[in-house]
Amino acid sequence: MSDGNPDVMDTLAGLADSAPAALRRQRPDVVKHLQGSDDAIFAPQDDGGLTRAERTAAALRVATLLRDPVLSEHYRARLATLDPNGTLARTVEGSARITEGRWDAILAHVDLVTRGPGSAERKDIDNLLAAGLSSHAVVLLSQLIAYVNFQSRVLAGLRMLKGAL
Amino acid sequence: MTKPMRDFTRGELHWQPWLAPVDLDQATDAQRAALKITPSNRAVGAYSLVLAHDPESLEQRSPLYNAIMFGAKGLPRAERELGAVVASRINGCAYCASVHAKRFTELTKAPEVMQRIQQDGVAATLEPRQKAIVDYAVKLTRDPAAITPADAAPLRAQGLSHLDILDLTHAVAMFAWANRLMQTLGEATIPAREGNPL
Repeated sequence: MSDGNPDVMDTLAGLADSAPAALRRQRPDVVKHLQGSDDAIFAPQDDGGLTRAERTAAALRVATLLRDPVLSEHYRARLATLDPNGTLARTVEGSARITEGRWDAILAHVDLVTRGPGSAERKDIDNLLAAGLSSHAVVLLSQLIAYVNFQSRVLAGLRMLKGAL
Repeated sequence: MTKPMRDFTRGELHWQPWLAPVDLDQATDAQRAALKITPSNRAVGAYSLVLAHDPESLEQRSPLYNAIMFGAKGLPRAERELGAVVASRINGCAYCASVHAKRFTELTKAPEVMQRIQQDGVAATLEPRQKAIVDYAVKLTRDPAAITPADAAPLRAQGLSHLDILDLTHAVAMFAWANRLMQTLGEATIPAREGNPL
């Protein structure tokens, strides 16, 4: 296991040195570029102005919508270091509300892209730009939402294999 | 989902971006590297030029997609395409479903499979191995939280190895990603010269 052991998916799926962790290493390029995608999205050299708190809160929102408690805890713990009083976490998990244009636009987009990507329209991108996001930030946010949707499904499959192997 | 699957797979992807693409003449070194632009290759579509606004994610996602859909051995490529078709239908990406249905048929030379899925959706009557793959892809796409270890049993019973199941999981999950980008950063359009395919 040369490519970072354990990586983020091993940790989230609780694989450690188990058979599914070894199975994953039969796909070294998937392991490498999945972790690379996670790093590019959550720890980029240039975030295009989409802040770490915004990225983490958006990810927590996706995990909440998908009812994935392990993934939620992963992003909730990261958000806690950026938002000590917990306002953001309570907002994205549905028990509080921030009435601020940029946050509203970001969270509305998370909901749309996660739940109903087929009903997106040009105005949904216009809303993000009008709320002050750069083109770079819009693409990074879109990649992030789509990535966490991917991540949750890979995790579901790994947990299934862990239970079946 | 019972929405008819449109068949407009011929020709190039006609995709209308909702965000101005990166202008290649103004692109940064990082953007050019992520797009794999060289003096002899400037042929890049609008979709990639929009994603190039964030070169760091693009640079990882392209090889990840290739490793998942084209990696050697493991689940046959056609069955990865079957997973892609199911995810795309459920996610409402008719264009993506159509493209990957065509690839499945090219690989299998069995047009009746996609004809059945086109007519009857993901509940179509299929041979048992394909049925097991489709059922898992449906569940994983609709509600990953509902997946349990028991969902591996029908796949194992049809002869899928653990690596095959991992490959199928990666392919279905990749389309949870791809369908979302393609449908929310712009829209696929039907080339005028090909007319309305419906």
